[in-house]
Amino acid sequence: MSLRARIRDGDAEAFERLFDDFGRAVYGHAFRLTGDWSAAEDVMALTFLEAWRLRRRIDAEGGSLRPWLLGIATNVARNTRRAARRHDDALARLPRPAPVADFAEEVAGRVDDARTLAAVRRAYGSLRRAEQEVFALVVWSGLGYAEAAVALGVSVGTIRSRLSRARRRLALFAAEREPLPPPRQERGDRGTAVRIVREEYR
Amino acid sequence: MNPGEREELARLLPYRADPELPRDRHRTLKEFVMTEIHRDPRPAAPRRRFPRLALLAPALAAAGLAVAAPMLLGGAEPAYAVTKEDDGTIFVTINEAKDPDGLEAELRALGLNAVVDYVPMGKKCSPQPRSERFLTKEEAPLTVFPAPKGQETGFTLDPGVVKAGQTAVLEFSVSEQTGGVIAAIWARVSDGPVAECHLADSTEAPLGPPAGS
Repeated sequence: MSLRARIRDGDAEAFERLFDDFGRAVYGHAFRLTGDWSAAEDVMALTFLEAWRLRRRIDAEGGSLRPWLLGIATNVARNTRRAARRHDDALARLPRPAPVADFAEEVAGRVDDARTLAAVRRAYGSLRRAEQEVFALVVWSGLGYAEAAVALGVSVGTIRSRLSRARRRLALFAAEREPLPPPRQERGDRGTAVRIVREEYR
Repeated sequence: MNPGEREELARLLPYRADPELPRDRHRTLKEFVMTEIHRDPRPAAPRRRFPRLALLAPALAAAGLAVAAPMLLGGAEPAYAVTKEDDGTIFVTINEAKDPDGLEAELRALGLNAVVDYVPMGKKCSPQPRSERFLTKEEAPLTVFPAPKGQETGFTLDPGVVKAGQTAVLEFSVSEQTGGVIAAIWARVSDGPVAECHLADSTEAPLGPPAGS
């Protein structure tokens, strides 16, 4: 039986494999949508809870479940509170990292130079939400137009037009702004740098 | 879209590296999700969308069930049930996370040398790892999934994979929200002695050794 069919029939072990295969992709997408490592964890966890709830909608035949998961993640990121309520406020039970952990530092180190990241977030923030979602799915997560259309439940034509609007808006934004600052070595606490980025784009 | 277009757009907003979770957080989130889906008493959402009103009735019924179940279990029903199947496997259902020693004794009586511990949320067995050497899931497939149809609250153990001198280590995470019902299982075979489980406060994943050990 295919992994799709097993998950649809409620096989928890098959679902665990889905998490192993695509947990990273979902987290990455969630992080790029939210710009916030902690919110991205919430979106990732709720995405898989939603996927489990919606498992009966999976067709037995078909390709990778990655586009489907990224579509769910997009919806969850759009309205995290509603998704949390649907799962009985599951997030209240999610174990949080110890407050002294140097976790933020680790993420900052891996993601990017904080200043470049902040500039990327500013430009991304100039897009409308529907354009942001298409941009994240197609450009950052590498979905095809058809896959992105399925993920968002819209037509391929809509994907195409949102993406070209995103392109125009980004070009405009770049023309009005100073170019990206050259990468600079941040000394001291990188964790602090990330927290500043988060506050700016909340 | 052709690759050139995608590259052009990616250059406009460059993420030079993929954001990644540290391994232990990844594992914590995975155990959290797996715990939650076992905790959730509601059936999967239907295949097609129905009007909201139609969804309301089953949701209310499920809510009623969740409240009623712990009260029923508080009565005469035993905390656990253990049956030996014809194929030599043991089928276990746990209704209430209590009396781990009793369950241990029953499993031993059926030929499975096991230690059983219940781990509440926010706790973890200490020390970890509890054995010098745990066999992998592949070396010793102790648990058999999925559970038989209609008995999804139970699980099957195969005593045949536990050889002389080895011990089956069963850790269960317990969710308070559902009246102390089992939320997740960690089951491995230890080659050699197993340390006793002393519960310690923890923010890590509740079951098994920490990631990377």
